[in-house]
Amino acid sequence: MSMRLFFKTLKRNYKLFIIFYAVLAMYLVMMASMFDPNDIDALMSMLELMPSELLNAMGFAGIVTNLVEYLASWLYGMLMVGFPLVYCIILGNRLVAKMVDDGSFSFLLSTPLSRTKIIITQGVYALVSVFALFTLVFATGVGVCAMMLPGSLDVHAFFLLNLTTMLLNMAVIMITFFFSCLFSDAKYSVGLGSGVTIMFLLMNMLGGASADARILKDLSIYGLYDPLELVRGQSMLWINLFFIGMIVVLFAAGILIFRKKQLTI
Amino acid sequence: MIEVKNMTMKYPSGKGVFSLDFSVKKGEVMGYLGPNGAGKTTTIRALLGFMVPNEGICLIDGLDCFKDATRIQKSLGYIPGEISFFDDMNGDEFLKMLQDLRGIKDTTRQKELLDLFELDPSGKIKKFSKGMKQKLGIVSAFMHNPDVYILDEPTSGLDPIMQNRFIELILEEKKKGKTILMSSHIFEEVEKTCDNVIIIKEGRIVVKSDVHTLKSTQRNGYDFKVKNHVEAVELLKQKGFEAEEQLNNLIRVYVTGDTIDQFFKVLSQFTILEFHEINQTLEDVFMQYYGGEVKSR
Repeated sequence: MSMRLFFKTLKRNYKLFIIFYAVLAMYLVMMASMFDPNDIDALMSMLELMPSELLNAMGFAGIVTNLVEYLASWLYGMLMVGFPLVYCIILGNRLVAKMVDDGSFSFLLSTPLSRTKIIITQGVYALVSVFALFTLVFATGVGVCAMMLPGSLDVHAFFLLNLTTMLLNMAVIMITFFFSCLFSDAKYSVGLGSGVTIMFLLMNMLGGASADARILKDLSIYGLYDPLELVRGQSMLWINLFFIGMIVVLFAAGILIFRKKQLTI
Repeated sequence: MIEVKNMTMKYPSGKGVFSLDFSVKKGEVMGYLGPNGAGKTTTIRALLGFMVPNEGICLIDGLDCFKDATRIQKSLGYIPGEISFFDDMNGDEFLKMLQDLRGIKDTTRQKELLDLFELDPSGKIKKFSKGMKQKLGIVSAFMHNPDVYILDEPTSGLDPIMQNRFIELILEEKKKGKTILMSSHIFEEVEKTCDNVIIIKEGRIVVKSDVHTLKSTQRNGYDFKVKNHVEAVELLKQKGFEAEEQLNNLIRVYVTGDTIDQFFKVLSQFTILEFHEINQTLEDVFMQYYGGEVKSR
């Protein structure tokens, strides 16, 4: 881990971070402003007009009764995984494979930084940036709700919701990061990094839409938990541990592969 | 300082370098030559620790180029053959980044080099011309004052004035006792800077020689026009010269070092209308060395 390199990486990638944070914050504000605690029944009756398969696929499932359930269902079912997924695909590729592909990585290696140090630093940046993204989203959510709907957010449940969503997204960025370490060609890094993760997301959507395809949802990392059940108090301990395990294994594999890799730069 | 011992490195395509054996002593400037695709960059990749050889070993200052790459890099300057920077950065930001990552604060040398090559590094690297990028690459390889240089076609894209500045820079570094391995296609550059040269072809070393020896085997080509060109060609052939008639009664002759006097004596018997020397690239020399077809330009 090199702090110097970490800050250089931050400097080259903070704009991407800000864009995605801004989009997520905008959705938070929009969703919170649409929430009317006195009119929750009206919202539910509106939902009944739409095909239930579509709603299930988008993760807008079940009857919600309070603000945190509303956010879990409407935001964290789809948007809070879909947008960060794009972030993970772009960043994962940028951190390693893109520089190996265009050859600029040779300049990093022309400093007294070892391959291992560089990869650890880049991987830590990936994790820290996802951590920062969800910390900010959590803080923004709490702040926005306190201003617009004082006293109606169950902060503890909202925290747990963000914790698991963050770990899920850290696992996702480690998938893209792993492929970024594995391939020297950005084409394959992006191809497999986005292919595998988007497939997981689609499996989750298809599995949610039809009971027959339920198995697809169960096999997808996005389908491991239901945000609505989470805020209603279901224990996420094992699921969180599973994500942490995935993060550790993929990060370690990325480092080990990159250490021994033949670099044609 | 730089040692390559029986190194073989194969790509899946079957290309690569095979059983390379050479060394560059401290204070020596070694020219590393060969046609495109001969394996120059591959050798350099192994020396930089980017790739592990399939067989054999390469060492710099007694350290293994792959395992000890980090320690070697502290005193190594490298110019890649195809330079690709972080395009989104400004040139000065890029130099500052390298300084920071190398943990160097002193920018005196960097300023000297920027002045020498008349480079203003501000502005997005993406907008730099080829020459400016090459200069930026040279500055980044020299600014931390390393002991060993590995330079892959360091002057490609530079104008002749800047090529000369580069030659001066190399000679200056050589005086300081630096060890330099340099691949190049520009004969003048090699001739002026290198003590020894290695020529590789299809991944194998075909010549190890000092520059003077190589030079004496170089043939010079001349194009000229004389009155009575038919007779001139005949006479030259009689005297054992390789003379060919070109378009417009132009005659082309190849002369090796020691027969130049004889050549002019023959020529003096005719009225000369036109006379040019053909510029030979090092590759021509190389081709000639192995009895291949000489292509002149």
